[in-house]
Amino acid sequence: MADLTQKEVVVRVFDVIGTPLAVSSDDGQKVYDKIAPLLGQGQKVVLSFDKIDTIISAFLNASIGQLYGEFAEDKIRDLFNVREMSPEDLALLKRVVDNAKLYFENRKEFDQAWRDEAGGPQ
Amino acid sequence: MIHKLGSVNNNREGFESLAELWSLAALLVARPLELDLSTCTSFDANMAAPLGAALAVIADKLNRTEIVGVLGPIENSLRRNQFLTNYGYPPLEAGTTILPFQRFQLTDERLFGEYLRRYLPGKGFPRLTEGAGKVFRQSIFEIFQNAVAHSESKLGVFVCGQFFPNELRLNFTISDAGIGICNKVRAFLGNEQLTSEAAIQWALAGGHTTRTGRRPGGVGLKFMQDFVRRNRGNIQIVSGDGLYGATTGYDKLHSSLPGTTVNFEINTADTQSYHDPDIGPENIF
Repeated sequence: MADLTQKEVVVRVFDVIGTPLAVSSDDGQKVYDKIAPLLGQGQKVVLSFDKIDTIISAFLNASIGQLYGEFAEDKIRDLFNVREMSPEDLALLKRVVDNAKLYFENRKEFDQAWRDEAGGPQ
Repeated sequence: MIHKLGSVNNNREGFESLAELWSLAALLVARPLELDLSTCTSFDANMAAPLGAALAVIADKLNRTEIVGVLGPIENSLRRNQFLTNYGYPPLEAGTTILPFQRFQLTDERLFGEYLRRYLPGKGFPRLTEGAGKVFRQSIFEIFQNAVAHSESKLGVFVCGQFFPNELRLNFTISDAGIGICNKVRAFLGNEQLTSEAAIQWALAGGHTTRTGRRPGGVGLKFMQDFVRRNRGNIQIVSGDGLYGATTGYDKLHSSLPGTTVNFEINTADTQSYHDPDIGPENIF
Protein backbone atom coordinates (compact mmCIF):
# COMPACT_ATOMS: atom_id res chain seq x y z
CA MET A 1 0.00 0.00 0.00
CA ALA A 2 2.91 2.33 0.71
CA ASP A 3 4.02 2.21 -2.92
CA LEU A 4 0.51 2.80 -4.13
CA THR A 5 0.32 6.18 -2.44
CA GLN A 6 3.46 7.35 -4.24
CA LYS A 7 1.68 7.46 -7.59
CA GLU A 8 -1.63 8.74 -8.76
CA VAL A 9 -4.32 6.26 -9.65
CA VAL A 10 -6.16 7.00 -12.88
CA VAL A 11 -9.84 6.10 -12.78
CA ARG A 12 -11.34 6.09 -16.27
CA VAL A 13 -14.99 7.04 -16.22
CA PHE A 14 -15.69 5.12 -19.43
CA ASP A 15 -14.34 1.92 -17.91
CA VAL A 16 -16.55 2.34 -14.85
CA ILE A 17 -19.84 3.22 -16.59
CA GLY A 18 -19.32 1.57 -19.99
CA THR A 19 -20.85 4.36 -22.07
CA PRO A 20 -19.79 7.75 -23.45
CA LEU A 21 -22.86 9.26 -21.76
CA ALA A 22 -22.14 10.47 -18.24
CA VAL A 23 -25.72 11.52 -17.67
CA SER A 24 -27.12 9.63 -14.72
CA SER A 25 -26.79 9.92 -10.96
CA ASP A 26 -26.51 6.15 -10.66
CA ASP A 27 -23.50 6.07 -12.97
CA GLY A 28 -22.04 8.99 -11.00
CA GLN A 29 -22.46 6.96 -7.83
CA LYS A 30 -20.50 4.08 -9.39
CA VAL A 31 -17.60 6.46 -10.03
CA TYR A 32 -17.86 7.92 -6.52
CA ASP A 33 -17.71 4.40 -5.09
CA LYS A 34 -14.40 3.88 -6.90
CA ILE A 35 -12.68 7.13 -5.96
CA ALA A 36 -13.89 7.86 -2.41
CA PRO A 37 -12.17 4.82 -0.81
CA LEU A 38 -8.90 5.73 -2.55
CA LEU A 39 -9.05 9.31 -1.29
CA GLY A 40 -9.89 7.94 2.14
CA GLN A 41 -6.58 6.07 2.05
CA GLY A 42 -4.72 9.25 1.14
CA GLN A 43 -4.24 8.07 -2.44
CA LYS A 44 -3.89 10.61 -5.27
CA VAL A 45 -6.64 10.08 -7.83
CA VAL A 46 -7.07 11.44 -11.35
CA LEU A 47 -10.45 11.00 -12.97
CA SER A 48 -10.13 10.60 -16.74
CA PHE A 49 -13.03 11.56 -19.01
CA ASP A 50 -11.41 10.09 -22.12
CA LYS A 51 -14.09 8.75 -24.53
CA ILE A 52 -16.88 10.53 -22.63
CA ASP A 53 -18.84 12.84 -24.92
CA THR A 54 -21.73 14.09 -22.79
CA ILE A 55 -21.55 15.04 -19.13
CA ILE A 56 -24.32 16.60 -17.07
CA SER A 57 -24.60 17.99 -13.57
CA ALA A 58 -26.48 15.00 -12.12
CA PHE A 59 -23.51 12.78 -12.92
CA LEU A 60 -20.98 15.28 -11.58
CA ASN A 61 -22.99 15.91 -8.40
CA ALA A 62 -22.96 12.21 -7.58
CA SER A 63 -19.41 11.42 -8.65
CA ILE A 64 -17.53 14.55 -7.53
CA GLY A 65 -19.86 16.96 -5.70
CA GLN A 66 -20.60 14.28 -3.15
CA LEU A 67 -16.91 14.15 -2.18
CA TYR A 68 -17.34 17.48 -0.36
CA GLY A 69 -19.66 15.80 2.11
CA GLU A 70 -16.95 13.29 2.98
CA PHE A 71 -13.62 15.06 2.64
CA ALA A 72 -12.21 18.49 3.48
CA GLU A 73 -11.68 20.90 0.60
CA ASP A 74 -7.92 20.93 1.22
CA LYS A 75 -7.73 17.17 1.00
CA ILE A 76 -9.68 17.09 -2.25
CA ARG A 77 -7.49 19.84 -3.70
CA ASP A 78 -4.32 17.94 -2.74
CA LEU A 79 -5.36 14.47 -3.84
CA PHE A 80 -7.92 14.77 -6.62
CA ASN A 81 -7.96 16.05 -10.17
CA VAL A 82 -9.59 15.49 -13.54
CA ARG A 83 -8.29 15.27 -17.09
CA GLU A 84 -9.53 15.01 -20.67
CA MET A 85 -12.50 17.26 -20.02
CA SER A 86 -13.51 19.85 -22.60
CA PRO A 87 -13.51 23.55 -21.59
CA GLU A 88 -17.34 23.50 -21.53
CA ASP A 89 -17.36 20.49 -19.23
CA LEU A 90 -14.80 22.11 -16.94
CA ALA A 91 -17.08 25.16 -16.68
CA LEU A 92 -19.95 22.87 -15.65
CA LEU A 93 -17.74 21.05 -13.16
CA LYS A 94 -16.79 24.40 -11.60
CA ARG A 95 -20.50 25.14 -11.04
CA VAL A 96 -21.02 21.71 -9.50
CA VAL A 97 -18.05 22.06 -7.16
CA ASP A 98 -18.98 25.59 -6.03
CA ASN A 99 -22.55 24.44 -5.41
CA ALA A 100 -21.41 21.35 -3.50
CA LYS A 101 -19.22 23.42 -1.18
CA LEU A 102 -22.16 25.65 -0.34
CA TYR A 103 -24.53 22.70 -0.03
CA PHE A 104 -22.44 20.87 2.53
CA GLU A 105 -21.35 23.97 4.45
CA ASN A 106 -24.80 25.39 4.91
CA ARG A 107 -27.30 22.64 4.17
CA LYS A 108 -29.38 23.01 7.28
CA GLU A 109 -29.45 26.78 7.13
CA PHE A 110 -30.23 26.76 3.42
CA ASP A 111 -33.16 24.39 3.79
CA GLN A 112 -34.66 26.47 6.58
CA ALA A 113 -34.14 29.71 4.66
CA TRP A 114 -35.98 28.25 1.67
CA ARG A 115 -38.82 27.05 3.84
CA ASP A 116 -39.06 30.48 5.48
CA GLU A 117 -39.08 32.11 2.06
CA ALA A 118 -41.87 29.78 0.91
CA GLY A 119 -43.89 30.22 4.09
CA GLY A 120 -43.66 26.56 5.02
CA PRO A 121 -43.27 24.91 8.46
CA GLN A 122 -40.37 25.89 10.74
CA MET B 1 -66.80 12.49 -25.25
CA ILE B 2 -66.06 14.67 -28.28
CA HIS B 3 -63.62 17.51 -27.82
CA LYS B 4 -62.63 20.11 -30.38
CA LEU B 5 -59.01 21.03 -29.85
CA GLY B 6 -57.96 24.59 -30.65
CA SER B 7 -54.63 25.58 -32.16
CA VAL B 8 -51.54 24.34 -30.34
CA ASN B 9 -48.54 26.58 -30.74
CA ASN B 10 -45.54 27.38 -28.58
CA ASN B 11 -47.34 30.06 -26.64
CA ARG B 12 -49.77 30.60 -23.82
CA GLU B 13 -52.79 29.92 -26.05
CA GLY B 14 -51.30 26.60 -27.16
CA PHE B 15 -50.88 25.43 -23.59
CA GLU B 16 -54.37 26.70 -22.75
CA SER B 17 -55.75 24.46 -25.53
CA LEU B 18 -54.04 21.42 -24.06
CA ALA B 19 -55.04 22.36 -20.51
CA GLU B 20 -58.67 22.69 -21.58
CA LEU B 21 -58.55 19.18 -23.07
CA TRP B 22 -57.03 17.86 -19.86
CA SER B 23 -59.57 19.61 -17.63
CA LEU B 24 -62.40 17.90 -19.52
CA ALA B 25 -60.82 14.49 -20.01
CA ALA B 26 -59.05 14.01 -16.68
CA LEU B 27 -62.05 12.38 -15.05
CA LEU B 28 -62.93 10.04 -17.93
CA VAL B 29 -62.55 6.34 -17.21
CA ALA B 30 -63.01 3.59 -19.82
CA ARG B 31 -64.78 5.91 -22.25
CA PRO B 32 -64.21 6.84 -25.90
CA LEU B 33 -62.60 10.23 -26.54
CA GLU B 34 -62.95 11.72 -30.00
CA LEU B 35 -60.38 14.44 -30.39
CA ASP B 36 -61.56 16.63 -33.25
CA LEU B 37 -58.83 18.78 -34.78
CA SER B 38 -61.02 20.40 -37.43
CA THR B 39 -60.78 23.78 -35.69
CA CYS B 40 -57.08 23.39 -34.96
CA THR B 41 -55.61 25.57 -37.68
CA SER B 42 -52.04 25.69 -36.44
CA PHE B 43 -49.99 23.10 -34.54
CA ASP B 44 -46.29 23.46 -33.75
CA ALA B 45 -44.98 19.94 -34.27
CA ASN B 46 -42.91 19.85 -31.07
CA MET B 47 -46.11 20.37 -29.06
CA ALA B 48 -46.97 16.76 -29.88
CA ALA B 49 -44.89 15.99 -26.76
CA PRO B 50 -47.26 17.54 -24.16
CA LEU B 51 -50.30 16.36 -26.13
CA GLY B 52 -48.81 12.86 -26.16
CA ALA B 53 -48.21 13.01 -22.41
CA ALA B 54 -51.80 14.09 -21.70
CA LEU B 55 -53.21 11.41 -24.02
CA ALA B 56 -51.01 8.79 -22.35
CA VAL B 57 -52.56 9.60 -18.97
CA ILE B 58 -56.02 9.47 -20.57
CA ALA B 59 -55.19 6.08 -22.16
CA ASP B 60 -53.86 4.82 -18.83
CA LYS B 61 -57.40 5.27 -17.51
CA LEU B 62 -58.58 2.81 -20.16
CA ASN B 63 -60.09 5.48 -22.37
CA ARG B 64 -59.79 5.02 -26.11
CA THR B 65 -58.76 8.11 -28.08
CA GLU B 66 -59.51 8.65 -31.74
CA ILE B 67 -58.09 11.68 -33.52
CA VAL B 68 -60.26 13.00 -36.36
CA GLY B 69 -60.70 16.02 -38.60
CA VAL B 70 -57.00 16.82 -38.88
CA LEU B 71 -56.41 19.54 -41.47
CA GLY B 72 -54.07 18.67 -44.35
CA PRO B 73 -50.86 20.53 -43.44
CA ILE B 74 -51.15 19.55 -39.77
CA GLU B 75 -51.84 15.94 -40.66
CA ASN B 76 -48.76 15.99 -42.88
CA SER B 77 -46.61 17.41 -40.09
CA LEU B 78 -47.89 15.05 -37.40
CA ARG B 79 -47.52 12.02 -39.65
CA ARG B 80 -43.99 13.03 -40.53
CA ASN B 81 -43.04 13.25 -36.87
CA GLN B 82 -44.84 9.93 -36.27
CA PHE B 83 -47.20 11.28 -33.62
CA LEU B 84 -50.31 10.30 -35.56
CA THR B 85 -49.03 6.80 -36.28
CA ASN B 86 -50.04 5.98 -32.70
CA TYR B 87 -53.60 6.77 -33.71
CA GLY B 88 -53.86 4.70 -36.89
CA TYR B 89 -52.44 7.13 -39.44
CA PRO B 90 -49.73 5.77 -41.75
CA PRO B 91 -46.33 7.42 -41.28
CA LEU B 92 -44.73 9.76 -43.82
CA GLU B 93 -41.05 10.15 -44.60
CA ALA B 94 -39.63 12.30 -41.79
CA GLY B 95 -37.26 14.38 -43.95
CA THR B 96 -34.35 16.29 -42.51
CA THR B 97 -36.08 18.75 -40.18
CA ILE B 98 -37.92 16.43 -37.79
CA LEU B 99 -36.94 15.07 -34.42
CA PRO B 100 -39.70 12.46 -34.19
CA PHE B 101 -42.21 12.12 -31.42
CA GLN B 102 -40.97 9.40 -29.12
CA ARG B 103 -41.83 8.03 -25.70
CA PHE B 104 -39.13 6.85 -23.32
CA GLN B 105 -39.32 5.11 -20.01
CA LEU B 106 -37.44 6.70 -17.12
CA THR B 107 -34.80 3.99 -17.36
CA ASP B 108 -34.12 4.73 -21.05
CA GLU B 109 -31.35 7.33 -20.59
CA ARG B 110 -29.06 5.54 -23.02
CA LEU B 111 -31.82 5.14 -25.61
CA PHE B 112 -32.49 8.86 -25.31
CA GLY B 113 -28.78 9.42 -25.93
CA GLU B 114 -29.06 7.33 -29.08
CA TYR B 115 -32.11 9.35 -30.16
CA LEU B 116 -30.13 12.60 -29.88
CA ARG B 117 -27.12 11.07 -31.61
CA ARG B 118 -29.34 9.98 -34.49
CA TYR B 119 -31.60 12.99 -34.93
CA LEU B 120 -29.73 16.11 -33.77
CA PRO B 121 -27.07 16.18 -36.53
CA GLY B 122 -28.23 18.37 -39.38
CA LYS B 123 -30.72 20.29 -37.21
CA GLY B 124 -28.62 23.44 -36.99
CA PHE B 125 -25.43 21.49 -36.51
CA PRO B 126 -22.63 22.01 -37.36
CA ARG B 127 -23.39 25.70 -37.90
CA LEU B 128 -23.75 25.88 -34.15
CA THR B 129 -20.21 25.91 -32.80
CA GLU B 130 -19.07 22.68 -31.26
CA GLY B 131 -19.22 24.30 -27.83
CA ALA B 132 -22.74 25.66 -28.27
CA GLY B 133 -23.97 22.34 -29.65
CA LYS B 134 -22.41 20.52 -26.74
CA VAL B 135 -23.99 22.81 -24.17
CA PHE B 136 -27.37 22.50 -25.91
CA ARG B 137 -27.14 18.70 -25.81
CA GLN B 138 -26.19 18.91 -22.14
CA SER B 139 -29.17 21.17 -21.45
CA ILE B 140 -31.55 18.70 -23.07
CA PHE B 141 -30.07 15.89 -21.02
CA GLU B 142 -30.36 17.96 -17.84
CA ILE B 143 -34.11 18.21 -18.45
CA PHE B 144 -34.44 14.54 -19.31
CA GLN B 145 -32.49 13.59 -16.18
CA ASN B 146 -34.62 15.98 -14.13
CA ALA B 147 -37.69 14.04 -15.28
CA VAL B 148 -35.95 10.76 -14.43
CA ALA B 149 -34.99 11.94 -10.95
CA HIS B 150 -38.05 13.90 -9.94
CA SER B 151 -41.13 13.31 -12.09
CA GLU B 152 -42.20 9.90 -10.77
CA SER B 153 -43.74 9.48 -14.23
CA LYS B 154 -44.79 5.87 -14.59
CA LEU B 155 -45.87 6.61 -18.14
CA GLY B 156 -42.48 7.90 -19.17
CA VAL B 157 -41.10 10.93 -20.95
CA PHE B 158 -42.32 12.29 -24.29
CA VAL B 159 -40.08 14.20 -26.68
CA CYS B 160 -40.47 15.86 -30.07
CA GLY B 161 -38.65 18.52 -32.07
CA GLN B 162 -38.74 20.57 -35.23
CA PHE B 163 -35.94 22.43 -37.00
CA PHE B 164 -36.64 25.54 -39.07
CA PRO B 165 -33.64 25.91 -41.39
CA ASN B 166 -34.70 29.24 -42.86
CA GLU B 167 -35.23 30.80 -39.43
CA LEU B 168 -32.17 29.10 -37.92
CA ARG B 169 -34.32 27.90 -35.05
CA LEU B 170 -34.77 24.53 -33.39
CA ASN B 171 -37.72 23.76 -31.14
CA PHE B 172 -37.45 20.78 -28.84
CA THR B 173 -39.87 19.70 -26.14
CA ILE B 174 -39.66 17.27 -23.25
CA SER B 175 -42.85 16.41 -21.36
CA ASP B 176 -43.53 13.95 -18.61
CA ALA B 177 -46.75 12.65 -17.15
CA GLY B 178 -45.63 12.70 -13.55
CA ILE B 179 -46.16 14.66 -10.36
CA GLY B 180 -45.06 17.99 -11.84
CA ILE B 181 -42.45 20.47 -10.58
CA CYS B 182 -45.03 22.46 -8.63
CA ASN B 183 -46.40 19.57 -6.60
CA LYS B 184 -42.89 18.31 -5.97
CA VAL B 185 -41.74 21.68 -4.64
CA ARG B 186 -44.91 22.12 -2.55
CA ALA B 187 -44.34 18.75 -0.90
CA PHE B 188 -40.66 19.48 -0.29
CA LEU B 189 -41.31 22.89 1.22
CA GLY B 190 -44.34 21.67 3.16
CA ASN B 191 -46.54 24.39 1.72
CA GLU B 192 -49.53 23.16 -0.27
CA GLN B 193 -50.68 26.75 -0.78
CA LEU B 194 -47.58 27.72 -2.76
CA THR B 195 -48.64 29.09 -6.15
CA SER B 196 -47.43 27.40 -9.31
CA GLU B 197 -45.57 30.57 -10.20
CA ALA B 198 -43.72 30.62 -6.88
CA ALA B 199 -42.97 26.89 -7.12
CA ILE B 200 -41.48 27.18 -10.62
CA GLN B 201 -39.55 30.27 -9.56
CA TRP B 202 -38.13 28.35 -6.60
CA ALA B 203 -37.12 25.37 -8.76
CA LEU B 204 -35.32 27.58 -11.27
CA ALA B 205 -33.14 29.32 -8.70
CA GLY B 206 -29.54 28.07 -8.53
CA GLY B 207 -28.80 25.68 -5.66
CA HIS B 208 -32.46 24.79 -5.07
CA THR B 209 -33.24 21.08 -5.19
CA THR B 210 -35.87 18.79 -3.75
CA ARG B 211 -33.22 16.13 -3.49
CA THR B 212 -32.25 15.13 0.02
CA GLY B 213 -29.29 13.14 1.25
CA ARG B 214 -25.63 13.06 0.34
CA ARG B 215 -25.79 14.12 -3.29
CA PRO B 216 -25.98 17.86 -3.93
CA GLY B 217 -28.19 19.20 -6.71
CA GLY B 218 -29.76 22.34 -8.07
CA VAL B 219 -27.29 23.06 -10.85
CA GLY B 220 -29.00 21.65 -13.94
CA LEU B 221 -31.96 23.98 -14.38
CA LYS B 222 -29.84 27.08 -13.75
CA PHE B 223 -27.24 25.81 -16.23
CA MET B 224 -29.95 25.29 -18.82
CA GLN B 225 -31.43 28.76 -18.25
CA ASP B 226 -28.05 30.44 -18.54
CA PHE B 227 -27.42 28.65 -21.83
CA VAL B 228 -30.76 29.71 -23.31
CA ARG B 229 -30.27 33.31 -22.21
CA ARG B 230 -26.80 33.50 -23.73
CA ASN B 231 -27.98 31.69 -26.88
CA ARG B 232 -30.77 34.28 -27.23
CA GLY B 233 -33.22 31.45 -27.46
CA ASN B 234 -36.27 30.91 -25.34
CA ILE B 235 -37.59 28.39 -22.90
CA GLN B 236 -41.07 27.71 -21.60
CA ILE B 237 -41.85 25.59 -18.56
CA VAL B 238 -45.36 24.45 -17.75
CA SER B 239 -46.31 22.65 -14.58
CA GLY B 240 -49.81 22.51 -13.14
CA ASP B 241 -51.37 25.84 -14.04
CA GLY B 242 -48.02 27.66 -14.00
CA LEU B 243 -46.33 28.88 -17.16
CA TYR B 244 -42.87 30.38 -17.21
CA GLY B 245 -41.37 31.84 -20.37
CA ALA B 246 -37.81 33.16 -20.38
CA THR B 247 -38.91 36.02 -22.62
CA THR B 248 -42.41 36.50 -21.21
CA GLY B 249 -42.05 35.82 -17.47
CA TYR B 250 -44.55 34.02 -15.25
CA ASP B 251 -48.19 33.48 -16.07
CA LYS B 252 -51.13 31.42 -14.86
CA LEU B 253 -53.17 29.14 -17.11
CA HIS B 254 -56.93 28.84 -16.71
CA SER B 255 -56.51 25.17 -15.82
CA SER B 256 -53.73 22.66 -15.27
CA LEU B 257 -51.72 20.21 -17.33
CA PRO B 258 -50.40 16.90 -16.01
CA GLY B 259 -46.67 16.54 -15.36
CA THR B 260 -44.10 19.03 -16.54
CA THR B 261 -43.29 20.33 -20.01
CA VAL B 262 -40.09 22.10 -21.00
CA ASN B 263 -40.00 23.76 -24.41
CA PHE B 264 -36.66 24.85 -25.86
CA GLU B 265 -36.34 27.33 -28.69
CA ILE B 266 -32.71 27.39 -29.72
CA ASN B 267 -31.02 29.93 -31.94
CA THR B 268 -28.94 27.73 -34.24
CA ALA B 269 -27.04 30.71 -35.67
CA ASP B 270 -25.18 30.87 -32.36
CA THR B 271 -21.43 30.83 -32.94
CA GLN B 272 -20.31 31.80 -29.43
CA SER B 273 -17.95 29.77 -27.34
CA TYR B 274 -19.34 28.50 -24.06
CA HIS B 275 -16.30 28.17 -21.91
CA ASP B 276 -14.49 30.40 -19.49
CA PRO B 277 -10.79 30.62 -20.32
CA ASP B 278 -10.02 31.26 -16.65
CA ILE B 279 -11.36 27.86 -15.56
CA GLY B 280 -8.97 24.92 -15.63
CA PRO B 281 -8.47 21.74 -13.62
CA GLU B 282 -5.95 23.58 -11.43
CA ASN B 283 -8.47 26.08 -10.02
CA ILE B 284 -11.74 24.15 -9.76
CA PHE B 285 -11.38 22.35 -6.46
